[in-house]
Amino acid sequence: MTDPTSPRRAAPFSPPGTARLLSAADLAALSDASDAHVKEALHEDHIPGVAIPASLEKLLGFGRSFSWWPLLFGLACCAIEMMATAGPRYDLSRFGMEAMRASPRQADGMIVAGWCSTKMAPRVVRLYEQIADPKWVLAMGSCATSGNIWNTYNVVQGIDALIPVDVYVPGCPPRPEALWEGLEMLRDRVKQSRHAYDGLRIIPARAAIGE
Amino acid sequence: MEARQENVEIPEALQVVFAKLEEEFGDTFLGSSFFRGELTFTVSVDDYVAVATFCKESPDLAFERLDCLLGNHYPKRADAPFEVVLHLTSVSRNTRLRLKIPLAEGQKIPTISGVWASADWDEREAWEMFGIEFQGHPNLIRLLTTEDFVGFPLRKDFPVRGTVGGRIRTDLKGKI
Repeated sequence: MTDPTSPRRAAPFSPPGTARLLSAADLAALSDASDAHVKEALHEDHIPGVAIPASLEKLLGFGRSFSWWPLLFGLACCAIEMMATAGPRYDLSRFGMEAMRASPRQADGMIVAGWCSTKMAPRVVRLYEQIADPKWVLAMGSCATSGNIWNTYNVVQGIDALIPVDVYVPGCPPRPEALWEGLEMLRDRVKQSRHAYDGLRIIPARAAIGE
Repeated sequence: MEARQENVEIPEALQVVFAKLEEEFGDTFLGSSFFRGELTFTVSVDDYVAVATFCKESPDLAFERLDCLLGNHYPKRADAPFEVVLHLTSVSRNTRLRLKIPLAEGQKIPTISGVWASADWDEREAWEMFGIEFQGHPNLIRLLTTEDFVGFPLRKDFPVRGTVGGRIRTDLKGKI
């Protein structure tokens, strides 16, 4: 995994509302970042490193929301409902999401459908990191949200211990309408380009285990 | 042969299986039963490979398929807490058979991956989950758990809840 002192992790650009992720100690440590715009960006919802006009940002967000291609990532039973949502009755193609990419490089985000085992966990993280920014994550089903009833030796109790999650869709499995509502919430975030660069944040669970 | 239910007709095909096995290994079996249409033999460790090979290769029995090989743990059974269970299927004869092999703590059992190749991974899983060691197995390493896992999870004394032996820190959940 990447070195915590690498340039990417040294300057996390976290949007507002997530101030709890950066404790006072974190901010103090970052206070010796040389550029003033870095400190400013920590408190504002900007695309890091690039200053573009708000209208262009809105246009990009609008365009992305109608063509958000998730990574094909069905881990367990929720994948069946994800396929059903992509099927003819509850058609994801109406929202431009029917193209579920098999390669993370070509994806805009992932729908984690199903429980993640401890053996699969590093692979989930690797795939998440391989998706190019901006990216969003939807945790589908109770297992991806919290581990559901599997509070056992081999199941990760919610994939938000590993990767930042934007939308949680509870259910076992969630009906296609429920997943659709979750995807609508996700598309709202995509349209506003909110939390698009969460992948750059330090994830405390992984920093604590030394990654 | 005892049928646990009264007045139950044992199917002819299974009667043939029973007769052939009794003829070959009669007094070495530890037990047998017929319950709800299923025939079970309890076999000792010493005769296990011979019985399994006979089941597969005898033209009358012809159990070509090992559906699964399972481990089991009965902590209340003091003399033989562990058990290996085989489910055999004969596709050509349309019969099924179960073999149970009781094991003491730490007792080793020979492998039958030479008889049915699918036993290879089944035995790896039984070792990983129960700690039952299979002698002569070509590759007895873990199959389903992470590399740094400690413990035998499906034993009855392994804690049911919590990531015991695993690596993901659930106490950090929700701190993102």
